[in-house]
Amino acid sequence: MFEFGKNHWLLFGVSFFGFIGLAFVVGIGPAIWVQRHSQPLPGAVAPTALETAGLHVYVSEGCVACHTQQVRPLEMDAVWGRPSAPGDYAFMRAAGLWQPYAPAVLGSERTGPDLSNVGARQASDVWQYLHLYNPRAVVSDSVMPAFPWLFDIKAAAGEGETAVPVPAPYAPGSGVVVPNARGRALVAYLLARRQVPIAGYGGTP
Amino acid sequence: MIEATSPTAVVRPFASPKARVEPVADTDTAWVRLVFRYVSWATAWLVFGTLVGEYLGIKFVAPDIDHVPWLSFGRLRPVHTNTVFWGWSSLAMIGMSLYVVPKTSRRSLFSFPLAYLSLALINVSVLVGNILLMSGINNGGQEYREYIWPVQAVFATGVILVAYNLIRTIATRNLDEIYISNWYITGGFLWTIALLVIAGLPWYQQNSISETVIQAFYMHMGVGMWFTPIVLGLTYYTLPRLLNKPIYSYSLGVLAFWTQMVFYSMIGAHHFVFAPIPWWLQTVAIIFSVGMVVTVIAGTGNFLLTMRGSRHAIGRSYSLPFILAGVLAYFLFSSQGTLEAFRSLQALWHFTNYTVAHSHMTMYGFVAFLIWGTVYGLVPRMTGREPAALLVGIHFWFALIGYLMYSIALMVGGSMQGRNWIAGNPFIHSVTDMLPYWLWRAVGGSLMFVSHLVFAWNVWTMRPRSRAAILEAS
Repeated sequence: MFEFGKNHWLLFGVSFFGFIGLAFVVGIGPAIWVQRHSQPLPGAVAPTALETAGLHVYVSEGCVACHTQQVRPLEMDAVWGRPSAPGDYAFMRAAGLWQPYAPAVLGSERTGPDLSNVGARQASDVWQYLHLYNPRAVVSDSVMPAFPWLFDIKAAAGEGETAVPVPAPYAPGSGVVVPNARGRALVAYLLARRQVPIAGYGGTP
Repeated sequence: MIEATSPTAVVRPFASPKARVEPVADTDTAWVRLVFRYVSWATAWLVFGTLVGEYLGIKFVAPDIDHVPWLSFGRLRPVHTNTVFWGWSSLAMIGMSLYVVPKTSRRSLFSFPLAYLSLALINVSVLVGNILLMSGINNGGQEYREYIWPVQAVFATGVILVAYNLIRTIATRNLDEIYISNWYITGGFLWTIALLVIAGLPWYQQNSISETVIQAFYMHMGVGMWFTPIVLGLTYYTLPRLLNKPIYSYSLGVLAFWTQMVFYSMIGAHHFVFAPIPWWLQTVAIIFSVGMVVTVIAGTGNFLLTMRGSRHAIGRSYSLPFILAGVLAYFLFSSQGTLEAFRSLQALWHFTNYTVAHSHMTMYGFVAFLIWGTVYGLVPRMTGREPAALLVGIHFWFALIGYLMYSIALMVGGSMQGRNWIAGNPFIHSVTDMLPYWLWRAVGGSLMFVSHLVFAWNVWTMRPRSRAAILEAS
């Protein structure tokens, strides 16, 4: 009756629809469930337009390849903050038509530090700019890529702009280093990475 | 005509003499050219993709080697992974499937134009996808699906058309039984089509956690329901053909097939152990990761028992060593994957370079080696032209030593990263302690890359002859 070895439609049908059935159990079903039950944490503030633009720079430059944004409920992860909660990601939304999925920021590799709470750990925008312009300028042993294309080299800082005080070995031959729109957005996003406190679990007010 | 070289004609101190294949080429030149076209494109993507990988490896020890946005690590990393996945491994597998499925169905391929169209679609998707990634346009950072959805849709269309082509071929086969290879090959295609659609639909991926649930499902199935079943299916054909004896057990193959489908589908969430996704989902993934031991032992046992008593044949062949190494890697590194799923070991290894070692040992030591075994085993039998056995040997040893050097360095280094974090050392220690291991990784990676250049030359020497030349020779 069940001659899978001879009846190709039976074989193909069972393997195809069987797989889709399993996909509902461990993929689509749980995804729908967590999406319905997900909401921002009490006290969380919606991101500004600049911070959201920064999230897209973060994704576009592939920062997720080396940085996680998930603190595990393990003692070794306590240094990065409190354990991550689903609500921490409630404001991460799809970017639009070409990127219709919420960006993947949880990460799978920690070649660099976890960034869930980096805004509290390194709250200085000058440090963040220096570090992005050339990480070796502030952390000599860092292997992070430099991102000079998030900056402009100008003869002098314009009105309302602040030059980044890049130390001599890393500074351009002439002119000053000023963050461009993408650089400013990325730093705004990074500085906003502050974990909302959860009673009994910690966080950064 | 193939030279009638005796296997013992040349004495080489470090290489056992290799037997030549029977001097019979497939006379269907259109079919041979189609398969060869796929293999050639796959090889071109292999060389490009691993050149990118090599450069990325160098960046760990020389981060200021360039400051070009298009070549920055974050943008280039997905170019490497997607190229070797969809350009190299996929096209090579599909190409060899276009040979094995008609062969085991005892008829010709359903449609040649359709097969060429699929090749063009997949090539275009990899090319365009890579250009977009390098210009900073990606899908949202989801690993192995970084190409934006219109590009993924082109790739998926290519895969769907091949699947249609193969299924129509099997449906009109000239024998009663569906050979076990075709279970695995069509299984791989059908599961991957379902997967590409599930991962492509956006409605249940509108929040980073629901997206992560789908990503966990996708990233594991993308490997394990595509590459694994299809290379196993190819091996179920190549191994018995090269050894000239039947597969040890048909039933073991069937058992491994069904358990592959049921167990493997459940284990994606082991990539996100301790993440804020449902805990039960992680536990289910860990349990079925243990279940995969059944599938892996059934599969490897079947191949090894088929090889039993054929040690001499393996030693005399230049293709069978690749298959033996691939089968052993399948066993060892799938078992490693089961161990890695446990929470206790995830605590040590998750987020470290250990994971990078694991993915190379599986996608390279297992998948690529079985593809190479199939290409070296079957292509000379199609075209009637053989590569130089010495050069195949150089490819084998450079690739094997290279990837072991690469992986062992990253396994040791990755464990040290994890221990550093557990010990609570300053984070930068886990970076500086890695430097020697990253250097060894670059050395191993260079050996792998050189072996791919040798492989590319070997593919060229196996190229099909013109129809006139074949007629003249026969």
